[in-house]
Amino acid sequence: MNNILLQLQDLHKTFQIGKISYHILKGVNLTVEKGEFLAVMGPSGGGKSTLLNILGLLDKPSAGLYLFEGKEVSSLIMRDLAKIRNEKIGFIFQAFHLIPWATAEENVLLPLLYRGKIERDDVERAKVLLERLGLGKHVNFKPSELSGGQQQRVAIARALINNPTLLLADEPTGNLDSQSSKEVMDILEELNKEGLTIIMVTHDPEIAKRAGKVKILRDGVFVD
Amino acid sequence: MMGRLLFKEVFRELLANKINIFFITLALVFSLTALNTIYALGKSAEKQILDTLANLNFGKDALLVLAGGSRIMGLTTTRTDTLLMDDIIAIEKLGFVKMTSPFTGGSVEVSYRGKAEKVRLDGVLPIYLQANNWELFRGKFFNEEDVKNFNKVVVLGYEIARKWGGHNLVGEKIKIQDQYYRVIGILEKKGSLGHFPLDERIFVPLTTAQKRIFNQNYLRGVKIILQEDTPLSHAERTIRKLLRERHNLYGIAPDDFRIVTPEMVVARHTATSKTLSAFLLTIAFISLVISGVIIMNLMTASVEEKAGIIALRIAVGAQPWHIIKHYLISALILALVSGIIGWLLSILLMFLLSLLTPLKPLFSWGTFLLSLLFSTITCITFSLFPAIKASRIDPAILLKGL
Ligand SMILES: Nc1ncnc2c1ncn2[C@@H]1O[C@H](COP(=O)(O)OP(=O)(O)OP(=O)(O)O)[C@@H](O)[C@H]1O
Ligand SMILES: [Mg+2]
Repeated sequence: MNNILLQLQDLHKTFQIGKISYHILKGVNLTVEKGEFLAVMGPSGGGKSTLLNILGLLDKPSAGLYLFEGKEVSSLIMRDLAKIRNEKIGFIFQAFHLIPWATAEENVLLPLLYRGKIERDDVERAKVLLERLGLGKHVNFKPSELSGGQQQRVAIARALINNPTLLLADEPTGNLDSQSSKEVMDILEELNKEGLTIIMVTHDPEIAKRAGKVKILRDGVFVD
Repeated sequence: MMGRLLFKEVFRELLANKINIFFITLALVFSLTALNTIYALGKSAEKQILDTLANLNFGKDALLVLAGGSRIMGLTTTRTDTLLMDDIIAIEKLGFVKMTSPFTGGSVEVSYRGKAEKVRLDGVLPIYLQANNWELFRGKFFNEEDVKNFNKVVVLGYEIARKWGGHNLVGEKIKIQDQYYRVIGILEKKGSLGHFPLDERIFVPLTTAQKRIFNQNYLRGVKIILQEDTPLSHAERTIRKLLRERHNLYGIAPDDFRIVTPEMVVARHTATSKTLSAFLLTIAFISLVISGVIIMNLMTASVEEKAGIIALRIAVGAQPWHIIKHYLISALILALVSGIIGWLLSILLMFLLSLLTPLKPLFSWGTFLLSLLFSTITCITFSLFPAIKASRIDPAILLKGL
């Protein structure tokens, strides 16, 4: 039985600004198994977010292989990438990125808007998710009416609405106080226990400890 | 459910920047109001002329024959003294002719109570009233007896009568050139045909005009009413042939008369307003394009401002088409709102104009559709660029530091 969710082989990323090119990822190799909880650490500017963008199919590598569920994905066209993101990948950002004029529930339902149709079940599921994340009373609140921790929990619900196989989080607790951070990490840990694969970027060693595995990205490569 | 959520998303985003939509709507409403008003006023002027013609019994079963032919720049290049009463009698014998109303006329000096002025005088027959669908306001019109005896009786147009002191002029005497005439009637108000006031004339029996006033035996023209459903072109050809024979015109000799149809009158009277409308419409179009550019700029600015949110939509799975659709729907909402407001304002404006000018407001669903059509075309066209731009936003910006 194949237990590998994704694999990076000699992955490179170069940014071109004018005539100068910046080599950010210099041959990253990574294997993530289903159900893994991986924390990525490393110095600022080391390429963690760049890597996460590629893992989340928001950006394409300059060279190397990216196998997602055994399939090479870095050469896919925009439309197919959007479909995979929509169906298989959930995102959590440091800055939450909620739509300010939509309610918590509508924010959670957003990915479904691009899937085809929204059914009564989906609305029900969004409510259940929010309730599970302790936001049962805040279904109709706008982001501006919620605390940072609550906003991040709405974002988690949004990431989960399509039952993804992979959850990507870029410093999910970066904007939160320690109490809210702990709550968010409890949730991620619980989700991971239920089988969800999580890759999380963080600066905080305490947070990283909650993951099953920690890797350090320095100067564009993983070091041990 | 999905449609509702999408619509809510679009709508809330629109409302999130009220200043923006205010200016977009304002720009659009402005040009649409102008466009609608101009269009409707043009239509209204045309309709008014048609109404006046119909009111004069100059509808589809009527022709006008005027003495003098081949006009170049308004000047007659042939004789104008060849149209005679005998011609009219011959025309009347044609099977398709129902009624003829010959006339002569000109400008004469008329004085009443010592005040003299130039007035347009027409010499006509008693049938004139029927032929022009006109009624008396006061008194009576002249009869066959008056015509036979060249009686010195006169009927006044409504405005002339009003100017000279109202309704009790019947029975008074007025002086035409150097002779006194008795006022026997006043015609009801008829309005005007373009700049051609119909109510500022006076009427005397045809024979009186010919013998006593102008001293000429020929006519200025004749109005011919046809039997219903006579083909106009056939009538025109037959009458032309008859008159050419009677006037001994053969070969290349030009007609010494002109046959005027209602369409020609409409065309002449709307020609000036058409050029004016075309000019104003061009300006309205330009302003529409300007509002289009304003829309494009404001939309582009708003897309840049919301790049993060758009990137998020793309990140969670929106296809380029979803994003384009999103912004085209907002463009459509703006278009409909502005279109409706612009239309309503143009109706209001037309109503105000109708209080100040003789133009009548014209309500039409045509202008409503026109308004919606133009605002939709403008909005969609000029939103396309910002929408495409939005669909190309790089979702990778979401993970950039704050
Ligand atoms: N689109 C881009 N164009 C040019 N350079 C870029 C681009 N995106 C990232 N970089 C550069 O790549 C390097 C790595 O950036 P990245 O955001 O991946 O670092 P990071 O490890 O996430 O840092 P931090 O911990 O501060 O978030 C930086 O030097 C950044 O300037
Ligand atoms: Mg980063």
